[in-house]
Amino acid sequence: MSIQNLNTFDPFADAIKGSEDDVQDGLVHIRIQQRNGRKTLTTVQGLSSEYDLKKIVRACKKEFACNGTVIEHPEYGEVLQLQGDQRENICQWLTKTGLAKPDQLKVHGF
Amino acid sequence: MTEEESIFDPTSRKKKKKKKVFDLDAGLSDGGGEREGGDATDSQATDKENQEPARNQENDMDIDENSLDLESFGKKKKKKKTKFNLDELDSALPDTGGKTLEGSISNDAGEGAEDGAVEDNFELDMDFSQKKKRKKKKKDLDVLVAEDEKEKAEDKENAEDESVTWTGTDRDYTYDELLNRVFEIMRDKNPDMVAGKKQKFVMRPPQVVRIGTKKTSFANFTEICKTLHRQPKHLLDFLLAELGTSGSVDGNNQLIIKGRFQQKQIENVLRRYIKEYVTCHTCRSPDTILQKDTRLFFLQCETCGSRCSVASIKSGFQAVTGKRAAIRAKTA
Repeated sequence: MSIQNLNTFDPFADAIKGSEDDVQDGLVHIRIQQRNGRKTLTTVQGLSSEYDLKKIVRACKKEFACNGTVIEHPEYGEVLQLQGDQRENICQWLTKTGLAKPDQLKVHGF
Repeated sequence: MTEEESIFDPTSRKKKKKKKVFDLDAGLSDGGGEREGGDATDSQATDKENQEPARNQENDMDIDENSLDLESFGKKKKKKKTKFNLDELDSALPDTGGKTLEGSISNDAGEGAEDGAVEDNFELDMDFSQKKKRKKKKKDLDVLVAEDEKEKAEDKENAEDESVTWTGTDRDYTYDELLNRVFEIMRDKNPDMVAGKKQKFVMRPPQVVRIGTKKTSFANFTEICKTLHRQPKHLLDFLLAELGTSGSVDGNNQLIIKGRFQQKQIENVLRRYIKEYVTCHTCRSPDTILQKDTRLFFLQCETCGSRCSVASIKSGFQAVTGKRAAIRAKTA
């Protein structure tokens, strides 16, 4: 039996915890780049560093049946890179898994 | 993670690639409400395009006409043919482009103020459609105008009804009643200003021609910059950042972009540019000025006087697409 009054109380616990369900902040930029011929490349920039991007890319590769990798960039942090035009796929997938909200996604390209 | 993986819906895999490009913009455009007008007209345009192949077949009989029709390229069906007649097309484009292609940005600002609901009355359709379709569109516009007028009439009646509701009685007037009264007075005093005058902006569609296999030319780039009243450099920055390529303006004032792009793809990007950097974010009038103020761009509206900052153009992460050996040789 502990005395409740003597418990340490962190007044900022809520503030810290509040963002926990919603780790993603800021926009996720989804871009497309043309390669040689009809080939393209999709990059996903701005996913929260709290996420394990390696696991995400592993899931994406399986889901979209494409290859992909995580690239470490000094300025933009970790960037997902997927083969082919996966813009729509990745948008649907990110919203479905709850990693990002639809209004946090910003799709670039044509 | 395995649990999560089992949740992933395998059905989403089976989608056609071609279709994606179209749906994406419509599906993800932020602020779905404001795009509604545009989308409606877009679908109209596609309807008309569906009718076109039949017309094209008729015209295929006489070969002279053929080069004209190829302007509706970008259709997969016709691809072979376009390649074949590319030279012909090139020669045909500059003179036909001028008169055959016309789109319109029509808007009725001020309408929005009428009943306080801004989003449903505004209409910004930038159809880069062609002259053939013009007749039909005019009709649509007329219908729209008629509808607007009808709405207005109804509004007015409502306003009148409501404006007198409290005059005889003792009760307080509500906010809505006062609002209606104000707009009624405004409409009476100067009918031109408030009564939703239709501004129509004619905008030419981008003329996009492939140069060789790896480059694309955007022939009327400077012309479009002029119609939008924007610095070519700004639009150039945006285009290149969005498309993730490099390019430059050549001696004939045309933009050369590296990579293969079709007209509708460029149109999509232009549409996004106009939405972000040309139309006013408050009243959506295209009569705006872009100013640079301490490293930030501000959009000043000439119609409603609002001033707001717009996003800076960033190209973001660029993946390595070229030959790594070549890059290494350049840096070392």
